[in-house]
Amino acid sequence: MLLDYDRLGWLRAALAGFTALVAAFLLLPVVFIVLLSFGSSRWLAFPPPGWTLKWYQELLADPAWIDAALTSARIAAMAAILSVLIGLLASFSLVRGEFPGRQLLRGLLLTPMVLPVVVFAIAIYAFFLRIGLAGTTIGFVIAHTILALPFAIIPIATALEGFDKSIEDAAIVCGASPLHARLRITLPSIRIGIFSAAIFSFLASWDEVVVAIFMASPTLHTLPVKIWCSLRADLSPVVAAASSLLVGLTLCLMIVTALLRRKLSR
Amino acid sequence: MTGTAFRRQSFAGLPAGSGGALPALTLVGLFFIVPVVALLLRSVTEPEPGLQNYAALFGSGTYVRVFLNTFLVAAVVTIVTIVVAFPVAWMLAIMPPALGSVVFGIIILSMWTNLLTRTYAWMVLLQRTGVINRALMSLGIIHEPLPLINNLTGVTIGMVYIMLPFMILPLVGTLRAIDPMTLRAAALCGASPLQAFRRILLPLSLPGIAAGGLMVFVMSLGYFVTPALLGGTSNMMLAEMIAQTVQSLLNWGLGSATAFVLLVVTMALYAIQLRLVGARRLAGGL
Repeated sequence: MLLDYDRLGWLRAALAGFTALVAAFLLLPVVFIVLLSFGSSRWLAFPPPGWTLKWYQELLADPAWIDAALTSARIAAMAAILSVLIGLLASFSLVRGEFPGRQLLRGLLLTPMVLPVVVFAIAIYAFFLRIGLAGTTIGFVIAHTILALPFAIIPIATALEGFDKSIEDAAIVCGASPLHARLRITLPSIRIGIFSAAIFSFLASWDEVVVAIFMASPTLHTLPVKIWCSLRADLSPVVAAASSLLVGLTLCLMIVTALLRRKLSR
Repeated sequence: MTGTAFRRQSFAGLPAGSGGALPALTLVGLFFIVPVVALLLRSVTEPEPGLQNYAALFGSGTYVRVFLNTFLVAAVVTIVTIVVAFPVAWMLAIMPPALGSVVFGIIILSMWTNLLTRTYAWMVLLQRTGVINRALMSLGIIHEPLPLINNLTGVTIGMVYIMLPFMILPLVGTLRAIDPMTLRAAALCGASPLQAFRRILLPLSLPGIAAGGLMVFVMSLGYFVTPALLGGTSNMMLAEMIAQTVQSLLNWGLGSATAFVLLVVTMALYAIQLRLVGARRLAGGL
């Protein structure tokens, strides 16, 4: 019955129809923005009177956009590396360590994920103003690493929990040093978790807007800040072009992730 | 003997004791806890020691309205999200995997697409001369463009859109975990499909609905970008108010006090949620 696809009767048609509608709703803005970026109307009329590539030309000719994208990529890469390294070490003690307050520590390290970003944003901004890190690359990397850390710890800790520790112990019995066993046996076994951690923490930083809005300086800002400022100023189609490139990037990342996951899990 | 030696040994190398968490703890302690505590202290020390910021916060009609509006929006968004997500999660839980993976792909794509991009799309779609208004007008359903943006309607549409995946994905897990036999047993005992839904399926999925709903509610309370871009000036939400108080008015005392209230509410709801599902399940989509 209700949980049996083949015996659902008329309800199945209703559920399928509704699901299709919601899927369309989820897809609508993504498709719309890509179509819009090729439209020739400055006023974002849809359907557009004609098709053009001029918004992309305008975008690529503007060093400010390229500069912001490179800044974002640089900061996100550094934040991802840092949070994977720190998250890897933390995951080992969260999963395997036996010490008082372990659950508390887990909760604490995951808190940046649930605390409203705006609270963290003004807190870290005030703090960085005082110690002179506001508007610097290091400041951005530190703030983004804190926000990315839960997204690194969760997949790594999950993978580590699923890994049978007796395999590592067996390697040690067979004469491998503990460090060697961890590097050669454990790390490769949990590589899907590490890989997911890297992707998620990169995205957590790359997409981050709120902290970036506060921290940004005229000389150093990320892509989301640039988009945010353009949205507040005017709804220019150049933003549609920039957004479409981001959609393309997301698609590529999704495909690469799916392929790599399949390859790694073999 | 071998046992203890073994144990001691495996603590060497990559540290497995509390030591491994030290870098994370240092980073989070120094750049998360210290700044947040310092901010909260500011709420009772600026411009002078005392509780005047909180008095101003709760004494002024404007701020109380922002609070009420924030809770209203979060509640409406949560309810709409649950109602829309449930049938989809249900379908996904029982669909043949090949077909379901297409829908999953769409959900993941929308989730991964840059947040500002998605909000920007809604800004254009919902404007007076936007596609939705023009389509409705050419179909003859309406004669005047509907005000869909810079108000509660716009915020609700945009927020529901953002929150849907966070509700659908955990719900699919809950629904998949229900044993179909329970429903078959109900049917054998003479329950109509409606009765089976109301008395078996819905109660069994309630923990998932509650956990997802709480998560969406908490996230909505503190959301900044989407309400700021799709909402109007007359229905500002807490996060935007905090940002404005600090950034434009430079009133750190009042901004910190507002942040403190938001933090307390969020953490209280988070604690309830942890009780409900445990820290691990919270990660749902990861």
